[in-house]
Amino acid sequence: MTNRPLDHRALVWVRKLVLPVMLIAVWQFWASTLPTGSPAPAPLKVLQTLGDLLSTGSLLSATVQSLGRVVLGFAMASVLGIALGLMMGASQAVRENLDPIIESFRPIAPMAILPIAILWLGTGTPTALAIVAYASFFPVIINTVHGVSRVDRKLVLAARTMGISRWTILTRVVLPGALPSIVLGTRLAMGVAWTAIIAAELAVGAKSGGGGSGGIGQMMFVFYAYNIDLNAIVVCMAVVGVVALLIDQLFRLVEKRLIPWKA
Amino acid sequence: MSDNVPSPKLRLSGVSKSFLAPRTGLSTLAVAEMSLDIQTGEFICIVGPSGCGKSTVLNMIAGLEVATEGVIQKDGQAVTEPGADRGVMFQDYALMPWQTVEGNVGFGLRYGTPGQHLNKAQRNQRIAHFIDLVGLRGSEHKYPHQLSGGMRQRVALARLLANGPDILLLDEPLGALDAQTRLILQAELLRIWGETAPVTERKTAIFITHDIEEAVLLADRVVVMSTNPGRVREVVTIDLPRPRAGKARTHPRFGVLVEHIWSLIRDEAYRAIGGDESLANPTEEATA
Repeated sequence: MTNRPLDHRALVWVRKLVLPVMLIAVWQFWASTLPTGSPAPAPLKVLQTLGDLLSTGSLLSATVQSLGRVVLGFAMASVLGIALGLMMGASQAVRENLDPIIESFRPIAPMAILPIAILWLGTGTPTALAIVAYASFFPVIINTVHGVSRVDRKLVLAARTMGISRWTILTRVVLPGALPSIVLGTRLAMGVAWTAIIAAELAVGAKSGGGGSGGIGQMMFVFYAYNIDLNAIVVCMAVVGVVALLIDQLFRLVEKRLIPWKA
Repeated sequence: MSDNVPSPKLRLSGVSKSFLAPRTGLSTLAVAEMSLDIQTGEFICIVGPSGCGKSTVLNMIAGLEVATEGVIQKDGQAVTEPGADRGVMFQDYALMPWQTVEGNVGFGLRYGTPGQHLNKAQRNQRIAHFIDLVGLRGSEHKYPHQLSGGMRQRVALARLLANGPDILLLDEPLGALDAQTRLILQAELLRIWGETAPVTERKTAIFITHDIEEAVLLADRVVVMSTNPGRVREVVTIDLPRPRAGKARTHPRFGVLVEHIWSLIRDEAYRAIGGDESLANPTEEATA
């Protein structure tokens, strides 16, 4: 009786895993019916390729390179987005000037600025950073402006009756008041940034003929266009998915740390 | 300047406030030609039906809104902007949700003018003193969402007092509480205001309420306001002896004063809820 909650939790995990395991089993069964030497990916071959790519270190270094670009581009977008968002939220004049510009760029997908980025910045890291920063800027600024506009006006008035300066009100009342929304914006931005970097590296890889742009997206491009290794492409896809999941979990942890008042 | 009349702590002379409706551009008069002198240490309650401009008057004294006409003077100086000398306790407390009890009580001391001349140790001592005064010791590290309504109200009161204002502006601070908590906090408010202390040691307090009994229990004078536009109908002096906490309600004058104030606002109160005019003047039988 006492270990019942544990049993229950185990049961939940079993239920979650049943379908994926079955799908992989079916996939493996289907792959085993193919003639030997077929290029079609199969679970066991994928695992073997994963081992190979890990042992050469190429998979890890490509992932780290992509992640580094995401973190740097995301950081640039966050600093700019939060600062501009706070200014827009605090000043109507700033908001009225910036809003039309932001709204007219927002529907332009990150991939749509790639041609200009490549022409101006080449096929290396600067272009990747530009794409990531562009993609993650919008969720950050839009959620920051929204968060600032939702800060309870009473709190600002209360602060003014305590002899608190306007600048301190911005940093000590408006910023923390908008923080839940800002953190949500950065979490969305990080997701978008990771999606954008893979697409950008794939596209840049195509442009540079598989050259030295690096990153996991470029690695996928090489397996697609030169080596034609479907198993390796599946490995890359799986890594992209796992990294995205880990990033999201990390942000949820940060959210709990930064916003302890939202139980 | 005559020597025998003390200069008032707060003087409202011919104060009017009109608001412009943003769409129509029409102006509505919220407060009309209000004049009132308030002495140091006085406890003033403002009562009146909804929409009589009570909160507008308080916000003008706080400096959060500017009078359209007339002047508000504090110690002879015109009030033009908010300042920590006039502390406000808002209806819904306006506590910072991301600050603990300690952080909220010390908010003005840490970031505003009230704590400028204090070092960190002095600030912390002051914060602890006021947390004790309102009976919140042990809850210092809780966030507002973990507190009951009565406890949040205490936090707001401690924050107000910690900032050391000369004038306490209280906008229906007990409005959202249940009846028992309200009775307890009325008594505590009187104690903290300094009911048992000499008049010179009391704070000047302006307290807005819907509750006539509460006004009579707390106030030295009750300002009765009427609507459309909000203006002073009568200023009723409450001649009940102090200290009142716990015993004023049984005083024979208590009911008389409550009844008198109610008679001043009854008609408008009925109209405000869309009731029949005849209900406002019930027969003897109906009241019995």
